[in-house]
Amino acid sequence: MPETPLQAQPDEAMVDLLVKRVTEGLSSDEQRELDVLDSATASAYLRDFERAAAAVTLAASAGAEPLPAGFAQRIARQADEHFAHRDATSVMRVPRRPSSNSGAFGWLAAAACLVVAVFGWMRAPAPREPPTVAVTPPITPAAPPPAAPQSPAEARAAMLAKSDSVKITLGPTKDPAAKGMSGDAVWDPATQKGFLHFVGLASNDPAVQQYQLWIFDAARDQRYPIDGGVFDIPADANEVVIPINASLAVSKVAAFAVTAEKPGGVVVSARQHVVALGAAG
Amino acid sequence: MLQRIASGDPAAVRECIEQYGALIWSIARRLSRTPSDAEDATQEIFLDIWRSASRFDATQGSAKVFIAMIARRRLIDRLRKTSAEPAMDPLETLDAAEWTDSSASSETSMEAEQATRALAELRPEQRQVLELGLLHGLSQSEIATRLQMPLGTVKSFMRRGLIKVRERMNIQADGVSRV
Repeated sequence: MPETPLQAQPDEAMVDLLVKRVTEGLSSDEQRELDVLDSATASAYLRDFERAAAAVTLAASAGAEPLPAGFAQRIARQADEHFAHRDATSVMRVPRRPSSNSGAFGWLAAAACLVVAVFGWMRAPAPREPPTVAVTPPITPAAPPPAAPQSPAEARAAMLAKSDSVKITLGPTKDPAAKGMSGDAVWDPATQKGFLHFVGLASNDPAVQQYQLWIFDAARDQRYPIDGGVFDIPADANEVVIPINASLAVSKVAAFAVTAEKPGGVVVSARQHVVALGAAG
Repeated sequence: MLQRIASGDPAAVRECIEQYGALIWSIARRLSRTPSDAEDATQEIFLDIWRSASRFDATQGSAKVFIAMIARRRLIDRLRKTSAEPAMDPLETLDAAEWTDSSASSETSMEAEQATRALAELRPEQRQVLELGLLHGLSQSEIATRLQMPLGTVKSFMRRGLIKVRERMNIQADGVSRV
């Protein structure tokens, strides 16, 4: 590779990992191995290799057949829905087929309490996709609601002062993204609003993965936590406050879990990367 | 176009589907197990494009490469999740890939032309490894088995091949292509 004054050269092990990631993807162990290497160098070379792979793909795509009849219209309708919901601060998900690895054992059938349920949720196989909940409002640190012209941090402080708000400490798991992280969730049952607060949660590349919040409602089946939407941690943001907008009404919040998922989030988490958990006391 | 998509321009969205639909569909077909998987993947890729359009930076490459990168990321993610071998053409038909003619129309991206030239400079077996991995979604282990080649050799061919394309594209460490 050409020597450049701005960029360190990756060693062979790093190049092998980057090439594998670009061509077939990495296992979680391999990804962790890559994560501990020089991230700036790895990121730069990963982008280059992705571009090179994309260029080869383009070079072999001459004479591509058009989209099947009607499919383009379907995609256009889906785009209309996406932008309509985005404008209403919501995101429409692509409908997914039921997961093929649905566990025969279901989720947490024997869980005796919610804390156990949440921790069991981390380890249990993914259930069949529930038949509802296609629309998920995103959690974004941008643009507070028009009715509350405070910053998220100010609004969180005001919510904490309310006597009926609930504060739940969120603890890190062993996931590398959670290393050194601390946080909490504040929830107001009356307004059905809340805030996540994190210090030291690793930043994410939204093109690669996003964080997703799951809300456990004591009044609901614990196998199906409420999708709390996706959010990002910007680079260099050590402390963040993120508004929560639950997609469904929460009767009694029992616990929160945060997972790392593919961009846009998922309908049912495989729980491969649970980064934070916290249950009501 | 991508900037207009980021702002939610419906005309730009339809333009994108019309202009890149065939490209995305062809990539999805190659790297999916079934036509149904390819349809799901194509929908997800377009959704990724709508979400990522605002991050497009024309100084970092063409829109076509940006879109192909998004498509590849999504498809590789799906392949890993299904953990099954993708549907693929029989080995003897691999040379049927329609490579870009470097003298072709203006619709052909510069990056594709550079990649074609880089591939032409590779040894046949090296090029075959790259094609199997990048165009047909085979893992390095699968390529080693199919070609009865040591895994280390496959890794080496893959690495050198991508580096060659990268050099041909003259990508510097800041990510900017210079011609």
